[in-house]
Amino acid sequence: MSLDRKIAYIDLSTGDIQTKAIPLEVRRKFLGGRGLDAYLLYNHTTQGCDPIGPDNALMVSGGFLCATCASATSRTHVMAKSPLTGLLGSANMGGFFSPEMAWAGFHHLVIKGKAEHPVYIYIHNGEIEIRDARDLWGLSVTEAQWAIRDKLGDQEVKSMVCGPAGENLVRYANVMTGIKNAGGRTGMGCVMGSKNLKAVAVRGTMDIPIAHPKEALEFNKRFIDQIVSAKVNQTQGTLGTPFIWGATNSWGGIRTRNFQYNQCEYADDIEPERLDEIATETMGPYHMTGCFGCQVHCRAQYKIPDGPYAGRYDEGPEYTSQGAFCGETDTPRATTLLTANHLVDQYGVDNLEIGSLISWAMELYELGIITSKDTDGVDLRFGNDEAVIEMIDRICQRKGWLADALADGGVAASKKIGKDSFSYLIQVKGMSNLHSDERATPALALNIATSSRGSDHLRSRPAIDLYHLPEPVMRRIYSSPVPYDGPLSSEHTEYIGKAWQVFWHENCYMAVDCLGICKYHTTFLGATLPNFEDWAKVIYYNTGLEFTPQEIWGVAERCNNLERLFNLREGLTKDDPEKGDVLNHRYHDEPARRGALDVIGRVIEKDKFIKMRSELYEHKGWNEDGLPTPETLKRLGIDAEPSHLV
Amino acid sequence: MTPEKDGISTAESLRSTRTYGKIRCHNPTCMERLEPKKGDKTIKCPTCGMEFRLAWVKDGFPRIRGPVWETNRKIAEEELSRKLKQKEGK
Repeated sequence: MSLDRKIAYIDLSTGDIQTKAIPLEVRRKFLGGRGLDAYLLYNHTTQGCDPIGPDNALMVSGGFLCATCASATSRTHVMAKSPLTGLLGSANMGGFFSPEMAWAGFHHLVIKGKAEHPVYIYIHNGEIEIRDARDLWGLSVTEAQWAIRDKLGDQEVKSMVCGPAGENLVRYANVMTGIKNAGGRTGMGCVMGSKNLKAVAVRGTMDIPIAHPKEALEFNKRFIDQIVSAKVNQTQGTLGTPFIWGATNSWGGIRTRNFQYNQCEYADDIEPERLDEIATETMGPYHMTGCFGCQVHCRAQYKIPDGPYAGRYDEGPEYTSQGAFCGETDTPRATTLLTANHLVDQYGVDNLEIGSLISWAMELYELGIITSKDTDGVDLRFGNDEAVIEMIDRICQRKGWLADALADGGVAASKKIGKDSFSYLIQVKGMSNLHSDERATPALALNIATSSRGSDHLRSRPAIDLYHLPEPVMRRIYSSPVPYDGPLSSEHTEYIGKAWQVFWHENCYMAVDCLGICKYHTTFLGATLPNFEDWAKVIYYNTGLEFTPQEIWGVAERCNNLERLFNLREGLTKDDPEKGDVLNHRYHDEPARRGALDVIGRVIEKDKFIKMRSELYEHKGWNEDGLPTPETLKRLGIDAEPSHLV
Repeated sequence: MTPEKDGISTAESLRSTRTYGKIRCHNPTCMERLEPKKGDKTIKCPTCGMEFRLAWVKDGFPRIRGPVWETNRKIAEEELSRKLKQKEGK
């Protein structure tokens, strides 16, 4: 069963490979997935280690429920010290990789060292080999995956690869499985490239016995019904995540022209219904597909309809690509979107980061902070579709001074560009913001400012705050599994009670990441989707382990605090503009200019923001400086880290 | 404690709060519930005046596709101008 899956320690410098069981005590404290990875990262790296040096540890994992009868347990998590931020590096992706790794006998890998030449790791039914990958180096994401299958003579092999961006040490390179399942954000593909590790390939046929199979299947029927009956998932199954971008743009929550506007006007060509038409025209009516064990099927398949890449196949695009390559750059055209989406998938680079940095460079260009001399003649004006495509190529190949600078990330690039460039960089902790504009939504602003891996919509975002839920409904959600009788407000432009919502969602998302379940199957976009109480049952039926919902909450709190400890160890201080829990000054100083009536003129009021942040620290058991108190660490059982249990 | 197989969780119990056939106005402090008729392509909020283009996920399941650009842009520009003047007046 899940409890039998092992952890493997692989040293690419020496070739040493060890496998160990994961003690029950460790499972009870951290479950698995992202939570256990956070423990491993804290224990297997030392303060100040070079993110692209051999001492950085790269963790690869499946969740605790991975490949069981539980629904949508496809998620693969990857963690290391980030080469982009110097803080926590963490990426999470769907697809089919981690279930295959679980069937091959493993839930967690800890990869250290650096190979002398490009290699890949092959894991199959309990065996692990390090193999030569010199012939794979330089291949695109899908070329590498196909080549590995051909080399191994097995078309069922699943592989997690870095693309050319990772090889070129682009600091926000992704790890990729499938054509578009992207472990994005914080540059985990760069860590792979730095270790000369082109891929991890897995193939497994080892059974995962279920503790209470009949009950597990019976309960999963209920679970699935809960998932597929939700309106948000019915919409996702029809239109994919682009519907989120469309709705957000409608009211004025999309940052446009870097951060000059909060709505991309006349964006009809990239609205979800238009993208759905293109997918239907190029792939037929049944073009939606999904990840392992998922019933939602939020991913469209398409071919690029025209332009220089016409006919190329890809999947998506996600709403993040709409934001990165259309809104921020003010190029709202489908061909640009679908082409850029294809290029970043093949290079293996983070769409949000590269799109944000291109739009930042566009603003600097229009302000005269950089010139055509810096861009090698690329006309970096907003609205220039060709420039967006050109810059993706250049950055991933580090071609030219500006592209090379941008490949190192925004903070590093701002030091090279100089002048006032940093003040235009829309980032938190060195990671570019999502395409969303949070000036009208204080809860979401607090979420991005305090998220552990930098500006992030997937670590604590109370997205359901936008639904204007009646207060009694909110009370029922946010008072479970731990009691809460403080204030709550249905108004998403308000500051009241938002700190608790961020705290609640942070624990919810950590728990789901420990279990390996997709966030679309929990209280992320839908208020009626499963969470702590439901997971206690799923864990018990599938693994036999008994957890109360409160205990799962406790695991999440513990793991979130471990991530904080790591960040503090690597230099986070709360008000540091490069590494702190703060927003770019434009959130506070520049009012929103577009969108719905009551969005116009909004800013994040700084004094209220600081108060809200202090409330969040208090909920977490941290002091005014954002440090976990000794009492909190003791309560969570992590007051003696590193403890080296595994 | 062994989990209760038949116990209804909070999330499951909230299913009864779902609404169908309606959408909310996208203006954040309005959020009026709007109920378009089958096949409608646009809808105007009777409370705040903002107007939206509609799409239908399926019969009985409308969603806002986006703003009616000209209408909402005009409202937005007037509001921005009013707020900027108000700010200057202070």
